[in-house]
Amino acid sequence: MGEFKVHRVRFFNYVPSGIRCVAYNNQSNRLAVSRTDGTVEIYNLSANYFQEKFFPGHESRATEALCWAEGQRLFSAGLNGEIMEYDLQALNIKYAMDAFGGPIWSMAASPSGSQLLVGCEDGSVKLFQITPDKIQFERNFDRQKSRILSLSWHPSGTHIAAGSIDYISVFDVKSGSAVHKMIVDRQYMGVSKRKCIVWGVAFLSDGTIISVDSAGKVQFWDSATGTLVKSHLIANADVQSIAVADRCLISCSKKRQLLLFQFAHHLELWRLGSTVATGKNGDTLPLSKNADHLLHLKTKGPENIICSCISPCGSWIAYSTVSRFFLYRLNYEHDNISLKRVSKMPAFLRSALQILFSEDSTKLFVASNQGALHIVQLSGGSFKHLHAFQPQSGTVEAMCLLAVSPDGNWLAASGTSAGVHVYNVKQLKLHCTVPAYNFPVTAMAIAPNTNNLVIAHSDQQVFEYSIPDKQYTDWSRTVQKQGFHHLWLQRDTPITHISFHPKRPMHILLHDAYMFCIIDKSLPLPNDKTLLYNPFPPTNESDVIRRRTAHAFKISKIYKPLLFMDLLDERTLVAVERPLDDIIAQLPPPIKKKKFGT
Amino acid sequence: MAALEEEFTLSSVVLSAGPEGLLGVEQSDKTDQFLVTDSGRTVILYKVSDQKPLGSWSVKQGQIITCPAVCNFQTGEYVVVHDNKVLRIWNNEDVNLDKVFKATLSAEVYRILSVQGTEPLVLFKEGAVRGLEALLADPQQKIETVISDEEVIKWTKFFVVFRHPVLIFITEKHGNYFAYVQMFNSRILTKYTLLLGQDENSVIKSFTASVDRKFISLMSLSSDGCIYETLIPIRPADPEKNQSLVKSLLLKAVVSGNARNGVALTALDQDHVAVLGSPLAASKECLSVWNIKFQTLQTSKELPQGTSGQLWYYGEHLFMLHGKSLTVIPYKCEVSSLAGALGKLKHSQDPGTHVVSHFVNWETPQGCGLGFQNSEQSRRILRRRKIEVSLQPEVPPSKQLLSTIMKDSEKHIEVEVRKFLALKQTPDFHTVIGDTVTGLLERCKAEPSFYPRNCLMQLIQTHVLSYRFFCLSLCPDLMEIALKKKDVQLLQLCLQQFPDIPESVTCACLKIFLSIGDDSLQETDVNMESVFDYSINSVHDEKMEEQTEILQNGFNPEEDKCNNCDQELNKKPQDETKESTSCPVVQKRAALLNAILHSAYSETFLLPHLKDIPAQHITLFLKYLYFLYLKCSENATMTLPGIHPPTLNQIMDWICLLLDANFTVVVMMPEAKRLLINLYKLVKSQISVYSELNKIEVSFRELQKLNQEKNNRGLYSIEVLELF
Repeated sequence: MGEFKVHRVRFFNYVPSGIRCVAYNNQSNRLAVSRTDGTVEIYNLSANYFQEKFFPGHESRATEALCWAEGQRLFSAGLNGEIMEYDLQALNIKYAMDAFGGPIWSMAASPSGSQLLVGCEDGSVKLFQITPDKIQFERNFDRQKSRILSLSWHPSGTHIAAGSIDYISVFDVKSGSAVHKMIVDRQYMGVSKRKCIVWGVAFLSDGTIISVDSAGKVQFWDSATGTLVKSHLIANADVQSIAVADRCLISCSKKRQLLLFQFAHHLELWRLGSTVATGKNGDTLPLSKNADHLLHLKTKGPENIICSCISPCGSWIAYSTVSRFFLYRLNYEHDNISLKRVSKMPAFLRSALQILFSEDSTKLFVASNQGALHIVQLSGGSFKHLHAFQPQSGTVEAMCLLAVSPDGNWLAASGTSAGVHVYNVKQLKLHCTVPAYNFPVTAMAIAPNTNNLVIAHSDQQVFEYSIPDKQYTDWSRTVQKQGFHHLWLQRDTPITHISFHPKRPMHILLHDAYMFCIIDKSLPLPNDKTLLYNPFPPTNESDVIRRRTAHAFKISKIYKPLLFMDLLDERTLVAVERPLDDIIAQLPPPIKKKKFGT
Repeated sequence: MAALEEEFTLSSVVLSAGPEGLLGVEQSDKTDQFLVTDSGRTVILYKVSDQKPLGSWSVKQGQIITCPAVCNFQTGEYVVVHDNKVLRIWNNEDVNLDKVFKATLSAEVYRILSVQGTEPLVLFKEGAVRGLEALLADPQQKIETVISDEEVIKWTKFFVVFRHPVLIFITEKHGNYFAYVQMFNSRILTKYTLLLGQDENSVIKSFTASVDRKFISLMSLSSDGCIYETLIPIRPADPEKNQSLVKSLLLKAVVSGNARNGVALTALDQDHVAVLGSPLAASKECLSVWNIKFQTLQTSKELPQGTSGQLWYYGEHLFMLHGKSLTVIPYKCEVSSLAGALGKLKHSQDPGTHVVSHFVNWETPQGCGLGFQNSEQSRRILRRRKIEVSLQPEVPPSKQLLSTIMKDSEKHIEVEVRKFLALKQTPDFHTVIGDTVTGLLERCKAEPSFYPRNCLMQLIQTHVLSYRFFCLSLCPDLMEIALKKKDVQLLQLCLQQFPDIPESVTCACLKIFLSIGDDSLQETDVNMESVFDYSINSVHDEKMEEQTEILQNGFNPEEDKCNNCDQELNKKPQDETKESTSCPVVQKRAALLNAILHSAYSETFLLPHLKDIPAQHITLFLKYLYFLYLKCSENATMTLPGIHPPTLNQIMDWICLLLDANFTVVVMMPEAKRLLINLYKLVKSQISVYSELNKIEVSFRELQKLNQEKNNRGLYSIEVLELF
């Protein structure tokens, strides 16, 4: 089936940043997650927990609270004192508004979704009216002594509970006055802590308020009388969650065997090593040259990097933050490396969601966050803007996945919900649109020669669409008719990369976080009775049996968690792993509580 | 481990505590409620779990309470003395102390003492003691003087020792201390002189006492900061003679002797005492709990606001005056047993059926005395409640049961016991079970023909009985009688149920199990749970047995040709097969022996008793154990079939024990020769297997090292992958 030399890379020292807060939207079944670096991500829980959208972070923006309001609008507030609304279509920040109360610690949308409440550092609780395109300040509630760390609405919307330091206040929404003030006991296991911080409150429909605090207590209060009903001491422990982003953080230059790693505030360029030895399956070959760290490129300014790319020829590096686009010319000859920034970027190339170089490295494709796709001609050390495909009228949906055909004629672009658009690069016009599918696209690629577009969706379906014929291929129809193997559909990580073998047109190479697979379209598809994954090589079986049991899916689970895998040449693969143990080793130790003994 | 829990204060009412602190804290008839008497005019009833007062009573201005209020547990009323001679009795409904029952006595009262299960006693300052009922019958009766002039009562305590009320009080005269022990029922008063030892200057600051069956252990905290113990016999040898008692040092320098504030000492249980005082002269006051057995400080708590040097302990609560408020510190002492720590304690098959806390402490009767309290029905309560005769409770079922035991036939008792067990949820369930067994056993001893076997079986199965160590309690009699009657069924049940049987008794059981005739075994109904029917497969796996014989743990005895005995053995291979295949004992005996194998023991204590077993019985038991071993090695997991079979470790331990104890005897016996040879070969084969395993382990370690190198590829490598 195929024997490869695999460059097994584990030096991508990527650590995902911690999760600060989450907000769940019941209607759309989506989860908004904000991280410590200010990034906000949106996961679609019905589409296999796929990370659908993301808003890049900013150093000065520490998001403390997230909430969904009516009409699936997402708001965040943070310690810079601003309330922000996110544009989920164009994937940018719609507006930011100062609440004038100092850092904001908490936020809650009213049960009807039409009002927004924020709790500020100065002890004020501010009520905002949500208008169709903005929010409008309405009223201040009675000012409290210290910062408001948690807020909760009564389901009827008439009262709110606000958790502060050492006490909980209950407000009447109509009058804005504090109805009750409930003092929280500072004692914790007999030790009087300095302050008891009420981290969370919940207001139940029967008027009970539940609070959790820094002393490790869960307490139940009666909001009508302002009395403590019940108190429970619980173990206080931190929950650490680990999630490796689905976003593509790695790109590779096939010709020069270079790897570009993207971090929040810098890029790293590595050169792969080489070997002259050969071996059989499973062997580790002696290295004649080790891998090298060539470049460490730091960004300027507080903004996080959104995306980055290295050209296949290895002479261009491009990356983008929210406000600026950077293009570098890389000169790498005989271990001498030099980098030159291409200045005078046009104004429209301000921010990119996705960058892609054509196979021959002469063209640069940029998906901007306004929904436009730009084509830039690269030659020598200069560039020329060729064209911009504007989004179809009426939509502002940003494109976040790009694929270009190896011959450079076709460009496919996909947004988060609508179908995949295919553009003719020669004629600079829209060629066709692949019918929309219920689940978001997780990866796509165009095959050489045939120009078949292979699309993977978050529900683990894979389609093959012939661009010249503007229809699904016969193989794709056969697959849809027969259906995928049940174990294939049960996988819980999306396919993140698709590539093709230059000499074997029938092969499709794809991978997710836990497996690498070659689909051989010439072989029969497996049915639910056949073994999908066989970890052991077939031994002393006759050719007849081997032929009978062989099927189209050849899977390897050696590399995990697999962040990136691509074909460098006919016989060489590169696999980037990020062992979870290495990430865990870099996390702060969890709060340990000794239970037995002294 | 003993532990002090989070303290809380009972502070709703400001106590007018004088410089001497409170007058007293006493228990009431409800477990959670306590009577607090301040040094002025007020008595307050507190509910501790709610931390609030339920009632408060004061005497008139000008009067002063001189003796802390106590509860009469038999009537539920409260008794207090004010102005030394005036006795007041009231209950919860009364509001004004002025209007309640009043009796003026002819002598000054030192203290009223009341404990559960008996009527209160009144101790007069002159040393005389009266029962409350007797005193109320004639309040103006003449009270005699017991102690000499200038002798002052310092401390007193009232116990019920083995169902007899005993009063102890300590007096002081010119630096000399005297202890008086009054057996209340027999009216014997014994006087002891407490010898202070070398340090004649020390002053005793605080007393506490605990009792066991023979002695009152009087602990005293001296001004040198040490705790001394004095053992006072409850039943004196010669009550007439004045005797001296020597104290022994128990704990050294637990508190600073010359502290400004008072110190106090109270016994928490047999092993723990609580001490209130400053550890160093300058430091703040502390409440500390000491284990006197191991002389270790278990826990301590600082009381920065100072105390009055008074400490009371009831149930699980320690009471003290901390600053201006009455503070309650709950005290808990989890049971920890050495046997459990050493891992030899038998673990119950199903958790929850017997928990240590279920066991009755036999030494402190818990209110349901056998024919002790019922005879002395409070006369005064009858006097007060003549109208409420109809409300008199009927005789509780427990009492009915106890009276049945004493006279009725075995069958009738059995019916009654079953009836009582069906009720089950009575609060004094454990006590009644204990009393019932005691009663039955006493009758067994008295009447040799009386043996209520079924009853005892039922009672044992209630899981509340425990065999206390060293024959201190009443329960040893149970197994003693069962041993005497050779009741193997009951003995098996005891072995299964009791976690703390002494090794001597285990050994006595083993003797009976081995010696009892097969015919008499047939009649018994032994629990066969632990025995698998070995005879069933012994026939059909005759062939297999031969095979196992050869492949016994990878060792082939045939190879060992150099062994002389082996050749001798090979002459009769038929016999050998038979011997090891069939169980050497009958099924019922096997079940009994399995009960022995399951019981907990300590080798040191068991070994001397094993020497007493006759040689042929030792051989029989060894044969059975060897048979079990062979059965074990038949399968890969090395376990026996059945519900609760003996484990391989138990079998091996017992083989070693038996051989250790009787080696010379067994070696001399011709009939044990074959067995010994078999065991010898068994050990030899085990050794060779282990040496082989050791060799393999080295190779395995090398392989593992190679494997690790393979997996640990570092940050970068180039590998070959082939997809099939």
